[in-house]
Amino acid sequence: MRQFLRPTVFLASFVAVLACAQAAGEDLIHKSLVRIQTVSQNPDYTSPWNAGPIDQGIGAGFVISNDRILTNAHVVSNARMIWVTREGDPNRYTASVEYIAHDSDLALLKLANASFFKTMLPLELDGLPTIESTVLVYGYPIGGDHPSVTRGIVSRIDFEDYSHSGADSHLVVQIDAAINPGNSGGPVVQNGKVVGVAFQGYNGDVAQNVGYIIPTPVIKRFLTDIADGHYDHYVDLAITDFPLDNPAARHALGLPDNSLGVMVSRVFAKGSSDGILEPRDVIVGMDGHSVFSDGSVDIDRSNVSMAELVERKFKGDKIQLDVIRNGKPLKLTVGLQPYPFELYENAYDVKPRYLIFGGLVFQPLDQNFISANQITNPRTRYYFDHFLADNLYKDRPEIVILSNILSDPVNAYANDFRQDIVDSINGAKVRTLDDVAAAFDKPADSYVIEFLGAGRPLVLEAKAVAAARQRILAGYGVGKESNLKP
Amino acid sequence: MMSLRIPFLAALVLALAPASMLRAEPAASALPSVASIVRVNSTNQAYNFVRPWTKRSPFDRRGIGVVIDGGRILVTAEVIANHNFVELERPANSEKVTATVEFVDYESNLAILKPSDPKFLDGTQPVSLAKDVKVGAKVNVAQLEPTGALALTPATITTISVNRYPVDSISLLTYRISAPLQYRDYSFTLPVFLGDRLAGLLMRYDSRSQSADLVPYAVITNFLDRVARKPYQGFPRAGLTFSPTRDPQFRRYLGLKAGQSGVYIASVLHGSPAEKAGLRKGDVLMQVDGEPLDQDGNYDDPTFGKIPFGHLISTASLPGGTLALHVLRDGKEVKLDLPLEPRDPASVISEPAIFDRAPRYYILGGLVFQELSQPYLREWGVNWKSDAPARLVYLDEFQDELPADQGKIVFLSQVLPADTTLGYDDVEGGIVKKVNGRPIHNLNDLAAAAEHPVNGFDEIDLESDPGVLYLDAQQVKASESRLRDSYGLPSLNNLDDPATQPAK
Repeated sequence: MRQFLRPTVFLASFVAVLACAQAAGEDLIHKSLVRIQTVSQNPDYTSPWNAGPIDQGIGAGFVISNDRILTNAHVVSNARMIWVTREGDPNRYTASVEYIAHDSDLALLKLANASFFKTMLPLELDGLPTIESTVLVYGYPIGGDHPSVTRGIVSRIDFEDYSHSGADSHLVVQIDAAINPGNSGGPVVQNGKVVGVAFQGYNGDVAQNVGYIIPTPVIKRFLTDIADGHYDHYVDLAITDFPLDNPAARHALGLPDNSLGVMVSRVFAKGSSDGILEPRDVIVGMDGHSVFSDGSVDIDRSNVSMAELVERKFKGDKIQLDVIRNGKPLKLTVGLQPYPFELYENAYDVKPRYLIFGGLVFQPLDQNFISANQITNPRTRYYFDHFLADNLYKDRPEIVILSNILSDPVNAYANDFRQDIVDSINGAKVRTLDDVAAAFDKPADSYVIEFLGAGRPLVLEAKAVAAARQRILAGYGVGKESNLKP
Repeated sequence: MMSLRIPFLAALVLALAPASMLRAEPAASALPSVASIVRVNSTNQAYNFVRPWTKRSPFDRRGIGVVIDGGRILVTAEVIANHNFVELERPANSEKVTATVEFVDYESNLAILKPSDPKFLDGTQPVSLAKDVKVGAKVNVAQLEPTGALALTPATITTISVNRYPVDSISLLTYRISAPLQYRDYSFTLPVFLGDRLAGLLMRYDSRSQSADLVPYAVITNFLDRVARKPYQGFPRAGLTFSPTRDPQFRRYLGLKAGQSGVYIASVLHGSPAEKAGLRKGDVLMQVDGEPLDQDGNYDDPTFGKIPFGHLISTASLPGGTLALHVLRDGKEVKLDLPLEPRDPASVISEPAIFDRAPRYYILGGLVFQELSQPYLREWGVNWKSDAPARLVYLDEFQDELPADQGKIVFLSQVLPADTTLGYDDVEGGIVKKVNGRPIHNLNDLAAAAEHPVNGFDEIDLESDPGVLYLDAQQVKASESRLRDSYGLPSLNNLDDPATQPAK
C-alpha cells in the first residue's frame, strides 16, 4: 500500500501532547479530522493503451464550512474510489472530488451522504502563523487506523516548490514537526484554528525535522477561485527576469542608482505578457509597489518576491506595471492568464495520448512520459530540457516522438528511429499528435515519415500496414489504437 | 543507427610497402627480439579546460615502443599526449636517454620518437611491418618482465573492422585480438607481432572479455608513408553520413531493383570532399573505387574481408588524387570523383580532442569566454553527456548540422566574481551571439569587438537568459591587474591559434 506524501520523509517521533492542547485536540480529532482511503489507478505511460496499475492509499482531511472536506490534491489524484472514515464511527462514507487544484495541491471532497456532517465541526481558517509559534499537526502518518498528532514550531515562511505538480512554487510554511506519509491533507492547527494543510516533507539527508504545510493564503485563494464553480489555474506573467545589481547594467539601461528594477530577459509567446513586455524592459513597479533590483517587493511590511503580487490575482485580473524601456518610463497593463506551457507539470486525472500505426507508437513528450521512460536519445533529451529555454516551442507546440515499437515484419527496420522526433509525414509538418493522426488518415500508397536529424526517412507501405493491423493489435493486446484526447 | 550516422572518416593502406619491408615472409618459428623494443616513459600534463590558464597534475605513462628504420621509435600517440618529458630505456641494460617527439598524429593514434643520442639505438634491431594479416592469424603480444626479458602472450586475430579510434573522431581499420594479458608495468601501449614482424600496436584492452584493439600494420604503414611526404597530410575523410538500405519498403521507395545495392546518403557535410564531389543527400552510393557496396556499406576486401567502405577512402589510397564513386540518383547511375582530402582543422566547430597546446580563452572583466570543444565537456567526467550543460552537449553532438559559417561556438564558461561582474555570478553556459553589436564566430572576434565599447559599455548578447550582460569598459580596463593578481591568472587571455602553431 502506498501512503501519501511526496517526497517521502523520515519518521516522526510522537509528541506528548500537553494537557490543554489535548482537550482541544480530542474535540478536533473526533469532530473535524477524517481519514481518507483511496483506490487509484495511475496511467501507464510506457504502454499507454493499458489501463495502468491499481494502487491504494491513505491520507487525511478535515471538514470545513458548507459540508466540504479539504485535503491534498495528491491524496485523491487518479482516484477511482474514495472513502472517508472518522474516529468512533465504523462506517465508510463514499466521497467524490468536487474541485481539485493540482498546482497548489489542494482538493475539496463532497459526500453522497450529507448526514455525515451533522455531527461534524467545521474548522475555521486562520491567517499566517508567526515564526516561532507552536502548531499541532493531525493525520494518519504511516497508515494506522487511529489519528496521530505531533507538535512543531513554525521555522520559516517562504516560497517553495510544490512537488505534486513539480512545476509550481507558492508560499509554504516550514515547521519542525515531521510530516510523514499519511499526514497529507491533515489540518495544522493553532489555537483551534487551521493555519495550514500538511503536504510534504523534505527529501534528503542534509536537513532533518523539516515539514512543509500549505498556508491559509494559498487555501483561501483556492476557495475564492472555485467560488464561480470552476477552478482556474494560477496566473503567471510568463516571463523570465534578471536582477539588476550590476552598476554597469543599470547605467547602460539608463537607470538611476536607486536599487529598483529587474530586467525582462524573455517573454514567452502566448503568455500573459506576450506583445506587452519586451526583452530588456526594466520592471520598476508592480501594482503601485516598488520592485527592488533583486525582484522583491514590500507587501504588508514584509519583503517578498514580486511573484506574490501575481499569485494573489485570478484569471482575467489585470496587473499594472511600471516599466522603463529604452530609458523612458512606461505604464503597462497585463491581463493575467495561466502559464501557457504544461510540458513540465505532472498531469493527473488524464489519460495518456498516443497513436499506433504499423506497430509504431507515437506519443507527445511531457513530464508524465519522461517520468516513466528513460530518454537516451540526446536530441530528444535536449528538445525536452530546452523546449522553453531555447524557444523550441515556437516551431512545434508538441514534441511527438516514436516512443515504442510493437515489433512486426511491417516495422522490422524502424528500430533506428526509436525516440526520434517526428518532423513530417508525407511532407506535412508534424506539430502535434493530432497532426500525426491527420497525416495517417489521409489515403496514400505509402507513408514517408521524416524524423529530426535522422537523415533517411522511414517508409511504411499502406498495404503492409493494413495487413499487419489486426495482427499487431491482437498480438500485443492493444484495445484501442489511439487516444488523442487527454 | 548511431554508428551509421557518424561521419565516417577514414583512411588506408598503402598498396606498395617501402622497399625495406619487402622481405621474405618470416619463418613460422621467427619471434620478435627484445632488441627491437624499448621502454617508453612519458611524463604528461594535461590542461585544465575548466580553468584554462592552469595545468593538471603531471602523471606518467609507461609503454613499449618499437624500433623502426631511421633511428625512430614508434608508439601510440596516447602515450605521449600532453608530454612534458619523454624518456627511453633499453630493457636489457636499463640504459636511459631522453627523447623528443618527432611527429604525432592523434587521428591514427601514432607517434614517432627520437632519442636525443642516436648511439642509444646501437645494437637495436629495427622491425619491419607485417602484411596481409587475416582473421585467424596467430600473433604474440610483447610485454617486458622487470628483468628486461621479453614476455610473449599468444593471441588470435578475431575481427577486422573499421572502428572509431580512441583519441580523435576518425574511424580507421581496427584489428581485434583475443588474448589473456597479465598486468605488467609498461603496458600502456604494447606491440603485437606476427612472427618477428609488427602486426600492430595495442591501443585498448578489455580485461573482462580479454579482447584488445590494435592500430594495425596497414594504418601504420600508411601513416609512415604520409610522414615521409612533406607536408604531412592526414587521413582523408569523405564528410558524409549514410544509412543502410536493408529495409525492403525503403528500397522500393528508393526505386532500388533486386540486384542493386548500396547505401543511402543521409547527409553531406558543408565544404567536405563529398560535397565537392557533388554527392547529395538521397543519393544511393553503389560503388567506391570500383568496389560494389552491400546494403550496409561493406565491400569485400581480399585481405580484410567484409569491411566498411570508409577504409577505401581513408587508408587504402595515397594522399591527394580522387576516388571514383558510383551513385544512383533519380533512377540513373552517376559517376562522381571524390577528392581525397583530410579534414580541414579550421572547419571543425567543436574539436574532438586538443593536446599539446593550452585551451584558448578570453577574460573580459571577470567574464571567462571559451570556444566549445569536447575536452571542455569531458571535464564533467565519464557521464559528461548527461552531466555537462545540455545545450553545449547538443551543439557538440550535432555540430555537423550547424550553418557553414558557424565558426566556433563562443560561450561564457564562468564568471569570476569581481566589481565588474557584480550580480552576474550565476550566469553560466550562455552562448555569445554578439559583443558590442558585432557577431562572434570565434574568440578573436570577441577580442576585437571588446576594443569597441558602445557608449562606454561592453554589451554581451547571450543566446540564453539573461540575454544581455553589460560591463563598464573603463572599469574593465582598470580592474585587469587586480583580477590577474587576485585569481592568480598568468594572462587574461590565450588566443594562440592552433593553425599557426608549428606541428610537433
